Amino acid sequence: MKMNGLPKFKSIHTSIAIAFSSLIICAVLAMSFNSFLLSSEAVKRNSYEHTGQLVEQVNANVETYVGNMESIAELALADEKLRTLMRLHDADSPEGLALTAEVSAFFGSIVRSREDIASILFIGSNGSLVSNREESALKPYHELMNQDWYKAAKEAGGESVISSSRIQHLFEDEYRWVVSISREAERGIDGSGGVLLVDLNYNVINDLCKQIHMGNRGYVFLLDPTGDPIYHPQQQLIYSGLKSERFDDILQAEDGSFEAVSDGAAKLYTVRTSEFGWKVIGVNYPEELVGDKKEIALSALRWGLICLVFGLALSLWLSHTLTKPVKKLDVQMKKVERGDFAVRAEIESPNEIGKLARTFNLMTGKIKDLMEQVMWEQEDKRISELKALQAQIHPHFLYNTLDSIIWMAEMDKRDDVIRMTSALSKLLRSSISKGEELVPLRQELAHAEHYLVIQSMRYRGKFAYSIEVEEELLDQYVLKVLLQPLVENAIYHGIKNKADQGRIVIRGTACQDGLCLQVEDDGVGADAEKVKERLARGRLYSGTSGSDGGGSGPSGSGGLGLDNVDHRIRLNYGEPYGLHFESERDEGTTVTLRLPLLRESVGSSPDREGEG
Amino acid sequence: MRKWFILSLCVLAAAVVIGLSSQEIARRLQPELPVILFVPKTTDFEIEFWEMMRQGVMTASEEFGADIRITGMREESDVAGQVALLERAIAEKPDAIVLAATDYDALVPVAQRIADAGITLITVDSGLRGGVSRSFIATDNVAAGSRAAEQLLVYLEPRDKGEQVVAIMNFVKGSATAMERERGVREQLGQEPGILILDTVFSNASEEMAYEQAAALLEEHPDLSGIVALNEPTAIGAARAIEDSGAASRVKLIGFDSSMEEVAYLEKGIIQATIVQKPFNMGYLSVKTAIEALDGRKVKPLIDTGEVVITKANMYDNDKQKLLFPFMEQ
Repeated sequence: MKMNGLPKFKSIHTSIAIAFSSLIICAVLAMSFNSFLLSSEAVKRNSYEHTGQLVEQVNANVETYVGNMESIAELALADEKLRTLMRLHDADSPEGLALTAEVSAFFGSIVRSREDIASILFIGSNGSLVSNREESALKPYHELMNQDWYKAAKEAGGESVISSSRIQHLFEDEYRWVVSISREAERGIDGSGGVLLVDLNYNVINDLCKQIHMGNRGYVFLLDPTGDPIYHPQQQLIYSGLKSERFDDILQAEDGSFEAVSDGAAKLYTVRTSEFGWKVIGVNYPEELVGDKKEIALSALRWGLICLVFGLALSLWLSHTLTKPVKKLDVQMKKVERGDFAVRAEIESPNEIGKLARTFNLMTGKIKDLMEQVMWEQEDKRISELKALQAQIHPHFLYNTLDSIIWMAEMDKRDDVIRMTSALSKLLRSSISKGEELVPLRQELAHAEHYLVIQSMRYRGKFAYSIEVEEELLDQYVLKVLLQPLVENAIYHGIKNKADQGRIVIRGTACQDGLCLQVEDDGVGADAEKVKERLARGRLYSGTSGSDGGGSGPSGSGGLGLDNVDHRIRLNYGEPYGLHFESERDEGTTVTLRLPLLRESVGSSPDREGEG
Repeated sequence: MRKWFILSLCVLAAAVVIGLSSQEIARRLQPELPVILFVPKTTDFEIEFWEMMRQGVMTASEEFGADIRITGMREESDVAGQVALLERAIAEKPDAIVLAATDYDALVPVAQRIADAGITLITVDSGLRGGVSRSFIATDNVAAGSRAAEQLLVYLEPRDKGEQVVAIMNFVKGSATAMERERGVREQLGQEPGILILDTVFSNASEEMAYEQAAALLEEHPDLSGIVALNEPTAIGAARAIEDSGAASRVKLIGFDSSMEEVAYLEKGIIQATIVQKPFNMGYLSVKTAIEALDGRKVKPLIDTGEVVITKANMYDNDKQKLLFPFMEQ
């Protein structure tokens, strides 16, 4: 699943989160970067195009204005009256003055019809002087002929000369900003001629260029072929040297765009050259474009970041919700591992994990049932084992008894042989009968007595016994073969090692909450502590192994057979019933069984030993 | 628990990012331009000098980005009016004030209050005593005076014997501008040997008074060979007196500033030269400096915008035309 070298993540949660996150980061980065590239490229291209269009527009307008001036100049020069006037010898003649007035009216009508034209003036070589204004006082003839526009037109010889922006001083006390076009009229045969001047109101150019804004700080300016600015929004600053432009570079540049540094700032110059040599220059600050770029980058970054944060949060949340039930399941499984089968994984979701949880619940339930079944089966097995054991007559005991019978027979003690054989027979019979677990106390006492009979005959004169049981208790049901092991214990561990004759008493009394059976002897006694400890151990391990004492037979080293009895009682009746052991060295031992009072055998009917 | 912590952290981060960016967007949609109050000596923009300065102010505001508000008194002599106006302006809390002070002393207290209010104060053309303003942008009048003196020396015709007698016609006694100009003239002429400078006369910036004073000078001093008139009306008055007395050939006149009349006298050859200031540059630089100061940059306490000598010969030069014939927009 994972490539080598990559760290292996411990949880699905982390894996999912990291996988999702990487995916989201990559996607967002790619998208942001792409959108940034696309939009910044678009902004740049738009800006270049826009600048180009604006500059083209300004150029077209300027060309229109200048074109108009040229056509006006042409129109004026083609005027018959003006032609006649300039051919006159004496412009001051009455004819000349009349013509001057007429031409002046003609010029006046042109200027009035056009707002962009400031003035029209004609200077003839014959001394004629015509302007569009009849009243205003013109400057003297010779001063006008000294002005630049006149000289330039003379030099150009019939070609139109376009001036830069300048102060026009034609009329006394009137100084106007104009751009002028001057043109020499065709010379007559006699050399007569003149120069026509058309002034364009500079306001027109100023307004045209001033309204152009490119970006926040971009602007347009005009340059004449000599490198003198015709219009520049900061013309004064340029003359003062506070600002500068790369005029030389612009003059040499072809139409198009180039970047150059002036005034410490990078500028993008977009240049167009008009028909008559003026250059229209658009100035942009690439810095502004960069600013736009930054803004675009910032916005791309911002949205990218927002997407990223949401994406990451989503991925964390998703991985969390996906793995949460799994973790819950894991916790429950740990509990099962520790043996608690009662757990249930409470996962309601209908997805795969939910199914898994339901299966898990089914599984633990099943395991729990199975465990219980196993426990029951073991218990059953143990009980049946005990049953089997309790019924057994120890072969050794049988052999000794038979030996005693033989011996008595040899001694011709016929009565004794009969008594003993009869007792053994009854004992065997009750053992063979695989009857019910519960028997009446009467029957149990009989069983114990048979045993006592046999033993008292074997250990002749060694002990006496008595059975003192309240009459009304005889019909109480008790577990089978309870007393015999106690008696056996009393004989082997108490009486047998006693020098004098001993005594065994079986007592049956009703104690506070049930039936108490006591087997009392006055033998050598035993170490009560040891026995008690053994009993306690037997109780502790009651569930594990069966009796080790070997049933009713004289069990081995201190086997006593007591624990078996105790165990059976507890198994059948539970607390507080059981065996109580009291013993004192050289004083005797008393074993007390505490049992419930049972009038009837519970469950199936007791097996009666009917035939005899 | 840890997961939820991370999750809530992410949500928090998202909120912060969105919050910041929306703030950023709002800021970009409404760029906060600094508000600069421009207070010229007079709001009569028919006067070329102030119109040119206004154009300079507007040009700079477009270039550097500023919200320009123009306010002022109609009359240049209304000192009390300007003080009251500035008092009101403090309450409006503009970012900067560009002030052409109508009085060297009377405006100092209000200027101090402007500075105390945390408003950047820039003085233009006419300053204040004591350097309250962050920067003073004006013509260096001492230098202008010495330029005028230099011009006079150029045009004075050499004399074989005796001293050149020269008069200085000043305008307002006690005006800082006037005194500085005179100082410049005197320093420059003092370096030349053989020049006698007559006692300074004060025209109170009145053309009529200047005419009379010049006429008197011409009469009292037949050997007078040069006059320096330290402002525009004084120059016009002097020029008229020279023209009327037919003394144009022997008395050379150097004037200050420009007007159509002065241009006419220049063309007639009665005024030999005039020293022209650069109000456009003053306006431009004052706003530029104000913005620089607002940006926390260091600004020069004094910026000399320079002056230009205009003579008949150079008056139609491209770079001089703009100074002499300001382009008045319609």
